[in-house]
Amino acid sequence: MIHHHPSEDLLLAYAAGAADEAISLIVATHMTYCAICRLRGKKLDSLGGALLQELPPAALDAGALDNVLARLDSVTPYERPKRAVSRDGTPAPLRAYIGGDLSTVRWRKMGPRLAYAPLFKRGNVTARLLKGVPGADSGAHSHHGSEFTVVLQGGYTDVTGGYGPGDLQMMEDGMSHNVVADPGEDCINLAVTTGPLKFESLLQRIAAPLFGF
Amino acid sequence: MLAHALRPSFPVLRPAFRRPAVLLRLPMKPEVLEMNALLGRVAAERDRTAFAALFSHFAPRVKAYLLRQGAPASLAEDLAQEALLNLWRKAHLFDPAKASVGTWLFTIARNLRIDAIRREKRPELDPEDFMPDSGPAADEGLVQADDEARLRLALKDLPADQIQVVELSFFADKPHSQIATELGIPLGTVKSRLRLAMSRLKRALGDAE
Repeated sequence: MIHHHPSEDLLLAYAAGAADEAISLIVATHMTYCAICRLRGKKLDSLGGALLQELPPAALDAGALDNVLARLDSVTPYERPKRAVSRDGTPAPLRAYIGGDLSTVRWRKMGPRLAYAPLFKRGNVTARLLKGVPGADSGAHSHHGSEFTVVLQGGYTDVTGGYGPGDLQMMEDGMSHNVVADPGEDCINLAVTTGPLKFESLLQRIAAPLFGF
Repeated sequence: MLAHALRPSFPVLRPAFRRPAVLLRLPMKPEVLEMNALLGRVAAERDRTAFAALFSHFAPRVKAYLLRQGAPASLAEDLAQEALLNLWRKAHLFDPAKASVGTWLFTIARNLRIDAIRREKRPELDPEDFMPDSGPAADEGLVQADDEARLRLALKDLPADQIQVVELSFFADKPHSQIATELGIPLGTVKSRLRLAMSRLKRALGDAE
């Protein structure tokens, strides 16, 4: 059961194609868990269609139709790519970035209870996977920029509440929290940050850059 | 503050899920029916006359959309032609009961633009690969093929300043703060106009009770 959904602005940016790749990955991953947001997304696509239909048409180059008609015979009908089926419930949009299932991720240790795996970085925006054993504590931190998290497995709790599989949390610039992994299985999250994290403890402040945080 | 930011501003969707789909189904607007029928002929018979009719209606609008997004004219022309070629290649995947050609082309053009201009991928849902327990599949069926037509009607009723922020949010590829600067109005005004417009548009879809 999903309790935390993307804001309207976030879904709108995804539908409009204005959200960058990492934020889009956050939204698409949440949607694989959430029928409500899949429907919200489709309604926003319909709004995109309505706006497109209302635009004053732009003149095409002379011969545009003939050009396209001449190409029709040379294009092959589209076939959906064959899907590799996930064996462990890995959300489909993430599979391409991991290169397989969650079980194949190569984790890098950050101390005894936390691990991470970088996915990609574009400019200031970083997408990574984070893992904590039950009870693991992220340490109090705030953000330069925003942090978006979707839970993939297990769950965590912070001052704002509890988060389980599919739940999406957005922390805006300057907001501070301390995340503790729930009892049970390891907590695995997809996390996107639009700037470096600011840790409150001196040790973490020294260590964070070493891990690229 | 945080709770507010995280709460979906779409709680009104739930009641719609419980209503029988039959009651929601209004007759589709003739233009949507006509365009969907043309695409049906493209899919079933590879009908070039039907394709030419779709091209003449949609290619100039797709080009206009790409120009709004800031694409140079020659690229907008190429991508508009490419979008319509995609329609020819993918016609057999189109489900006229669930979608309209205009909305489908919007999603095709959006993704072509991201690919060509931003040189990024847009992570997409796999329409057949959802997580178990993510909600009944029947929910997807509630997407109405005539949503687009209802939204077009509702857009005509919006005040000009609200249409402007909706259009900019969709077409300008800029954050709201930059839209506010360019319009010379406070960020809060952009957000409140957008919120007002979106709630009216949702009412038009029959989501609010």
